[in-house]
Amino acid sequence: MSTESKIRVLDPTGQPTIVQQGMAKRPDTLDGKVVGLLANQKLNAEPLLEAIYDVLAERFELGGRVAINKGDASRPAAPEVLDSIASDVDVVITANGD
Amino acid sequence: MSDTIEVDDALQAIELYAERGWTDGLPIVPPTEGLVAQFVNALGVSPDTVLGVEPTKGAVITAEKAAINAVMAGCKPEYMRVLAAAIDAVTTPVFGLHGISVSTMGAAVLMIVNGPVASELGMNSGVSVFGPGNRANASIGRAMRLIIINVLGTRAGDLDKATVGHPGKYTWCIAENEDLSPWEPVHVTRGEPADGSAVTVAAGLGPFQVGQHHDDSPERILDAFIDPLFAMGPLMPEALIVLCPEHLEHFRDAGWEKARVGQYLYENALRSVEDWAFAGRPVPGRDSSDTEPVSALASPESMITIVAGGGGGAWSQIIPTWTHGARSGAVTKPVSA
Repeated sequence: MSTESKIRVLDPTGQPTIVQQGMAKRPDTLDGKVVGLLANQKLNAEPLLEAIYDVLAERFELGGRVAINKGDASRPAAPEVLDSIASDVDVVITANGD
Repeated sequence: MSDTIEVDDALQAIELYAERGWTDGLPIVPPTEGLVAQFVNALGVSPDTVLGVEPTKGAVITAEKAAINAVMAGCKPEYMRVLAAAIDAVTTPVFGLHGISVSTMGAAVLMIVNGPVASELGMNSGVSVFGPGNRANASIGRAMRLIIINVLGTRAGDLDKATVGHPGKYTWCIAENEDLSPWEPVHVTRGEPADGSAVTVAAGLGPFQVGQHHDDSPERILDAFIDPLFAMGPLMPEALIVLCPEHLEHFRDAGWEKARVGQYLYENALRSVEDWAFAGRPVPGRDSSDTEPVSALASPESMITIVAGGGGGAWSQIIPTWTHGARSGAVTKPVSA
């Protein structure tokens, strides 16, 4: 078949927006660290985070915990939630417990 | 500009797009350069004009991407202005497009078109309004789904994790039956001018069809909707009721205003805290010692009332929405003249 008889069609897909983001520095130990437990609002997120905290507490002398619920599983945490996490805790564990 | 692909003919394009996961499972119309240019031109904008940005992932929906997917869906160029308004609506943050498209709850984008554009495009608001047979209804709704699949990258089994979903995820676009309704159309209730055209989007779950052929008082007709509402509540911030012309006639004869529909259902779709809990939907912050009954609706305004369907038969619908409206709200946007 000749090139002239071919048809040209267009790609319907969108190109993803890729943003390079660095990892936060990892602490050398969790001893003395305040742990943020960031639940995504799903039913089992908080029990899962509590269970993880209990496991960590057996291994480290943790500095306490702050439970946070972002309140909407389908949207990113609001800037004020992220700001309070940044100011109140040393490390964060998040969970999607459906 | 989008990448182009050279193929031997239309059938090869149809197979290629299916293989690449660029369809809804049905054959598409190949989006040739000429057709896509025609569809972009129908909007009177440049191809890279942004029609909407999905707020969570930042996916950009340009006029060209919308046009490509509209061609694929079987649209005509003149449908583009409705699709552009619908894209504006679904990318409004309160709609929560990402959540409604990926959730196990399996919502679809319901589009309701009002105003002169509906008749200009020959849209169906009557017999079998949610069924097949009308090109504008079918292809505009399908174009929205293809945009969600292709531009947002939300494919079933990949990002789209709907447990069961429903057939509205193929296409779900209707016109309101304004000619038969004594009430203001839904776009006017929602703040758009009466002489303009608009599209309203809602994150609809599978609809419930409700029949009431044995009584003609508005109260008894609405009572038939209460059991289905019990399957959805409690305290839903948003749901839709689609009243068919035969039911509507009884509301007209009784002199009911539209707002009274939501008021009646709010006041009468009541059950105890204990019954809500027994049905697996506990009322937040209430326990079984609380004897105050709780409504299926959060307020009288929670019910969005529209009129659609054919003249024969007393079949109306309730359409619940994703998270019952808690995290997605309907949005209405004007369609350009």
